[in-house]
Order: sequence, then C-alpha cells, then structure tokens
Amino acid sequence: MSAVLQNLVNQPYKHGFVTEIESEVAPKGLNEAVIRMISAKKKEPEWLLTFRLEAYKKWLSMTEPHWQNVKYPKIDFQSISYYSAPKSKKKFASMDEVDPELLRTFEKLGIPLHERAALAGVAVDVIFDSVSVATTYKERLAEVGIIFCSISEAVQKYPDLIKKYLGTVVPVGDNYYAALNSAVFTDGSFCFIPKGVKCPMDLSTYFRINTESSGQFERTLIIAEDGASVSYLEGCTAPRFDTNQLHAAVVELVALDNADIKYSTVQNWYAGDENGIGGIYNFVTKRGLAKGINSRISWTQVETGSAITWKYPSCILRGDNSVGEFYSVAVTNNYQQADTGTKMIHIGKNTRSTIVSKGIAAGHSNSSYRGLVRVTPTADGARNYSQCDSMLIGDQCGAHTFPYIQVRNNSAKVEHEASTSKIGEDQLFYFAQRGIGAEEAVSMIINGFCKDVFQQLPMEFAVEATKLLSFKLEGSVG
Amino acid sequence: MNEAVCNDDYLANMLKTWSEPSTSTLPWLDQLRSEAVDCVNALKMPTTRDEEWRFTDISPLIKLPFQVAKEPSQLKIKDIDHFFLGEAKIRMVFVDGQYSPQLSCITHDNDIIVGNLSALISCHSSEIATHLGQYTDFKNNVFAALNTSYLHDGALILVPHNKSVTAPIHLLFISTQKEVTSYSRCLIIAESSSNVTVIEDYVALQEVTYVTNSVTEISIADNAQVNHIRIQRESDQAFHIADCTASLAQGSQYKSTSVALGARISRYDLNVKLADEGAECSINGLALIKGQQLADTHTFIDHIKPNGCSQQLHKCIVDDTAHAVFNGKIMVRPKAQCTNSTQSSRNLLLSGKAQVDTKPQLEIFADDVKCAHGATVGQLDNEEIFYLRSRGLSEITARNLLTYAFGAEILERIPVISLRHQLEQTVLKQTQRN
Repeated sequence: MSAVLQNLVNQPYKHGFVTEIESEVAPKGLNEAVIRMISAKKKEPEWLLTFRLEAYKKWLSMTEPHWQNVKYPKIDFQSISYYSAPKSKKKFASMDEVDPELLRTFEKLGIPLHERAALAGVAVDVIFDSVSVATTYKERLAEVGIIFCSISEAVQKYPDLIKKYLGTVVPVGDNYYAALNSAVFTDGSFCFIPKGVKCPMDLSTYFRINTESSGQFERTLIIAEDGASVSYLEGCTAPRFDTNQLHAAVVELVALDNADIKYSTVQNWYAGDENGIGGIYNFVTKRGLAKGINSRISWTQVETGSAITWKYPSCILRGDNSVGEFYSVAVTNNYQQADTGTKMIHIGKNTRSTIVSKGIAAGHSNSSYRGLVRVTPTADGARNYSQCDSMLIGDQCGAHTFPYIQVRNNSAKVEHEASTSKIGEDQLFYFAQRGIGAEEAVSMIINGFCKDVFQQLPMEFAVEATKLLSFKLEGSVG
Repeated sequence: MNEAVCNDDYLANMLKTWSEPSTSTLPWLDQLRSEAVDCVNALKMPTTRDEEWRFTDISPLIKLPFQVAKEPSQLKIKDIDHFFLGEAKIRMVFVDGQYSPQLSCITHDNDIIVGNLSALISCHSSEIATHLGQYTDFKNNVFAALNTSYLHDGALILVPHNKSVTAPIHLLFISTQKEVTSYSRCLIIAESSSNVTVIEDYVALQEVTYVTNSVTEISIADNAQVNHIRIQRESDQAFHIADCTASLAQGSQYKSTSVALGARISRYDLNVKLADEGAECSINGLALIKGQQLADTHTFIDHIKPNGCSQQLHKCIVDDTAHAVFNGKIMVRPKAQCTNSTQSSRNLLLSGKAQVDTKPQLEIFADDVKCAHGATVGQLDNEEIFYLRSRGLSEITARNLLTYAFGAEILERIPVISLRHQLEQTVLKQTQRN
C-alpha cells in the first residue's frame, strides 16, 4: 500500500520549463543606486522614490526575523537581481503584438491570456518576472469605472489613488521583507472598484518568475469603495532551477463601507526537487483592512508550491460589523516547509471572523499553522471561530499548530479547535470494498478533507486546485 | 541594553548570599549546586521579548532582589492549624523555605521514606542522586537554576516498590515574612507499581510582598501512579514562580490538579515527559484571579514513546483587570505512534477589562496519532442563563451559579474531600456577586 502511495505523490513539476526570452536584468546587488535605477526606469514621480528610499533605510536598520518554524540557509541579499524584464517591452496595442514566445509560455501554463479565451470570462493581468506584460478586458472594465492595470501604469495614470493608499495597510517598516519589497518592488496589479460597483467578472493576476537568480517583488493594491465588490484571483509558477529564489510580495486590500473583497490564491511556485534542492522562498505579506462598516475581506489560499511558504494573510477588522475570513489548504511534500496562517485583529464592534485551515504534510516536509486572534477592548461583541486540521502522510513529516488567542473584551466569543489525523487503513479498506483503488481513494479522502476550503474558490480555480492536489500527493500515502 | 545590565545585576544580587559548599561528604551534590550557579551566570532574566514570557512581564520582580530569610519565624501549631487537612496522616511544613520539624507530623508506616531532603540526603544518597536535579531543565530556566543553586531543605517522598499509600501526604509551604525569597523543593520518587497522593500547598500568613521559587521533580516508575495536587494560595502581593517536571515510565500514570488563587504574579511551568510506552497523564488546572493579578500557566506534554495518552483541561476565571495566560504545548515525537491526546483551554471573562492570552500548541511528528485541542474565551452563555431563569432563578443567582460551576468542574477532580470543600468555599466566595 505504501508503495502505491509513494508513487502517487512524486509527480514531476510541469511548469518547470524556462522560456528563452531576452530579458533586461539589473546587476546583482542592492544599494541606493539600484533603487534609483528601478525608479528611473519606471519613470516614477519623486514621492515614490522617497517612499522607496525610506523603506530601504528602514530595511537596513532591521534584522531578519528568526521566530518562524522554517529553516533555510542565510539569504545573501546582494546576490539577487532586483530587476528583470522581458526586453521587447513596448506598449502593445493588441494581443497579436505580444512576443509570440511569451504567449506560448502562457499557453503552456493554460492561462487564458488571449482575448479569444473570452469563454473563460476572466480579466487577466500577467506579471512576467518583475514586469506586467499584458492586461486583458481593460475596456470592458473601464465602462463600469473599474481600474485594473499594472501598478506601474497606475502610478503614471492615477498617482493620487496610489499615493493615498500605498503603504497604508502594510507600512514600509512593517516587517523585514515588507520593507525590502517597499524599496524594490517592480510591478504588480492595481485594482480600484468605485462606489457601488459590483465587478462583472473575476479579476486575475498571473505571476511567473522566469530568470534565474532574480527575485520577484511585486506589489498588489486593491481598493473597493463604498458598496463595491470584487473577486480577485492570483496564480503563480516558476521554472526549475537548482538555486533558491526569493519571492517577497506585498498585497494590500482596502474595503470601505459595505465593500466586499474576495482574494483567492493558487500558489504553485517551483517547490524544489525530491531532495529539497532549489525552489522558491515565498515570504509574502498580505493584509486587508476592513475599514468601513459592514465590509468584508475574504482570503482563500491553496498553497502547494514553494520550497518555503511563510505568510499570514491577515484582516484588520476596523469597521463595525466587518467580517474577516481565511480559508487555507497548505500541502507540503518532500522537503517543503510551510509556516502559514492568519491574523484577525478585531477592533470594530460586532466584528466576526472565521478561520478554516487544512494542512497536509507528506515526505520529509513540515507544515505549521500559526494564527493570531486578537480582540481589542473596543471590539464589543466580537466573534471568532477557528478550525485547524492537519493530516500527516508518512512518519517523517511534521504538523504544528500555534494559535495565539488574545482577548481584551469580555463580550467577545472566541473558539478554536484543532485536530490531527491520518488516512486510516480502515478508510482505504472501505473504499476498496466498494471497488475504488487506493490511489483514487486517497484523492477522494484528501478532497473531502479540503472541501470546506475548495468550496470558497471560484469555479475554475477549484477544479485546478483539486487536480493540483491529487497529483501533488501522488504516491505519498501509505 | 540597560535592561540586560539590570538583569545581570538582579541575578548577581540573588547569588550574593551563595557560598561555595565546604566540601561536604556528597561531592555530587556540591557539583550539582555549582553547575546550577554556572547556569545562573550564563542565563539572563527573561523579558517579554522571550517567546516563553511574552505575556508575563516580570519586571516588577526584578526590582526586588529579595534574599533568603535569615531566621524562620517561630510559629505555633495553632497559628497554622486551619490549613491542616484531616485526611493527611503525613504533613511536612516549611516556613519561608525552611523545614520545621516541630510543625510537621511524620509517621513511618508502609516503609515509605518521607522527610527533609537535607536530613535524608546522606543516608539515601544513591537513590536521591539518580533523581535530584535530573528532570528539571535548570540549564534553560533561570529560576530553576537559582533554586538548584540554593538547594538545601525540601520535601523528599520515596515510595518503594508495590507500596500503596492511601492517605494523602500534605506538603505545606508557609510564607510569613515580607521581602524574602523562599526556595522550596520537592522530590517525589514512586518506584514500580507504587501509588501515592501528594498535596503541594502554598499559603501565606500575611498580605505582604515576597517571592516563592519552587521546583518539584517527580519520577514515576513502571506501572506506578502519582496523584499530584497543587494549591497556590499565596498573598495577593506575592510573586510565585514554580517549575514542576514529571517523568513517566512504562504504563505509569500521573494525575495533576493545580489551582492558582493567589499571588500578584504567578507562573507555573509543568513539564510532563511520557518517556516510555503506554504512559498516561491527566492534567487539570484552574486559575481564579481578580484585581491586578496575573496568572501564567505553561504546560508541556512530551509524548516520546508509543501508546501514550494525555488529557488536559485548563480553566481560567478572570475578574477586574486581572490577566490570565495559558500556553499548552503538546509534542508528539516521531516514535510516539498511537498517541491519544486531547487538550482544552476554557476561559471566562467576568469584567470588561480582564485579559486572556491562550495558546494551545500542537507539534506532531508521528502520523498514526489522535490529537485534538480546543480553546474558548468568552462570557457566560445567555441560553444557559435563560434556562436557569426559566426555572425561577434570578439573573444574579443564575450567573453566580454558572460561574461557580465553571470553576467547580476542576475542583471536583480533587480526591481529598476536606481540601475540596475548602477550595469550593473560596471559589464560591469569589464568584458571588450581588
């Protein structure tokens, strides 16, 4: 039985190819000159350069955090290239002008970049290495007043909006990697949903790291004004290299009165080989501010890739009656490590939050849930429910739960539960009895285990996630 | 930087009265003490920057480098007999950390060895040497290191193979003087297939400021059972820092019930090592605090070998601006297959300014295990209050009853009836409102 399961898990990474595309890569290393160079290349206004330099100064004064439950060799920040862009960069009038090599890459990845893929009905912004290469459906979105473009474009076209919101949810000195990102971020998505608008389609960003020894530092900013609502998806892949690459993104969400933001991620960065060589270090800061009354921010994530995943998509529930949600599936195999979870900071009255976290660890991997639920003295009637389940496949892996619960208000109600289980022989036997083979049975059990989270994903992503999971764990159960 | 210097000052101050032992007849004991002093010198006082002390700020303690009492107070039996328990045939009394033979009552039946550690250490040297200082992790715990440096008086209980001690043994630690530090120490050795109940009881005669630093080590051999009850009812201005480590051999059982009622700041570290197959432990705790009290309980249940079983229930009732901290870590090591472990942290906040920080933690490295934990923080359930009101109770009565019942669930697990009644009265008094 064990052999079947082992074979099941170890499927090759299918997005590991490198695209031969000419790139403009900045020399390795980080200093003020590099930051000025990035800023100049992007023709940024003065205030943004100041923002970057301030962040850089903060970053220099900070030390790398070490409290996390993941281990990795010290990162040499001077051996990373902080800027890499496909060379043939000019503004494209239509998709046909885009470098065919690039288009083929995205076709291989199955991204509906081309307008003809209208069937999928998703507006896509594509970030290749550090730079946004294409955004689809812009016009249709513009009709209802939605701005969806790369953040560099937004800096040029809508500087007031960027200036007003950038760095308000994740301040430049928030943490070591956020400071680094604020100093060197090259591109990312920007999305603005004006008052009362319900976004007519799902918005999506696709991130791809292509160049070896480059880091990816993208910045995403989503603003939903009063009564607006949006569902945003994010997908990530990277080619197979033997060196580790750093991905330190920052995502900021702002929801005003009655606004609703749903942010879904399917993260499938290259995870390293079966001996843990190579792979992406995914150190991301994601935070949403539920600023207005009755606002809602919902994070859904399916984390299957990356050598190390270390992130805590969080909600600051400031508006009265605001709602925060976090649904997560983290799957680790081989030597992958994950330390992920969420923070729910209850500030407003009658704020509610839900946390559902499912961790699956196989091989020699370690999966940790680390979460914080804080109820401040002002959060009368706050309510939280957390559930963290882990599943272990094999006896070489580890599952850890570190929930922090801090309550400063006696009208709050906070509940947390966690459990650990495995795929039992009797469960497999039950399936076998009904003529279902071990492989399929494991896949069904795992999908059942993750159902609560997959239900939250938009349809296409849910299908993708289910598939991803089943091949990810092929051969690991037994 | 200043803080670090100040910390070192504190520890240096605390070691001021320590002197190199004049080569006694027990070189191992001298060595243990000097090793502990080396540890104190190597360690620093913890601050809230240390994860283990994140919510417990002990800076008020650092300002008060209290020394060991020079002269123990002279007490009469009648001064303290209200603390005595009818069921306990054996009673050991420590006054400000020093053993008082006059107030104690030791009977020698059943071949068990009970008495003051410093008096019995030479005639039972080999048995004691294999256990004393072997379980508590004083290399990483500055308070346990201080305690071990000053190791002298203490309670020794050694229950021989196959002996069952039916009556509980009462260890009464009384604080009488202000501005002193008492180092109290207990060593409980249960040999194979033995059975014993021990009550560790910390009380004060007056409401003054002092420090209790206590270390308990419990060794439970194959198939033995130890029932450990720990009551902390210190003065409301006192500091109580305690560390207890229990090591469980094959098929052994450890039951712990701890109740924290007193102290301005109290910290209790309970480490249970299920070191061999089929060991079982049941850990219950209650913290009932008010005013500006802070009660911090850290437990660590370490499943090392297969087929272990642990159950834990920790409750806090927090009133006024008091602050309760609970950190419960359960570790399941790679070999500890078929472990069954449950943990539950329940917290009741009675006032708007009360605080709770709870962190139930699971670290699991084996796949064939059943582990679950849960935590809740909140106030009384409105439906429960409604249920009682629909039966004719006033709202106040309903609330009082439910609050009392919340705490009484832990007290019910204390097998010593007289002690249970005493505590029930205390809890009843503290949870009633008009």
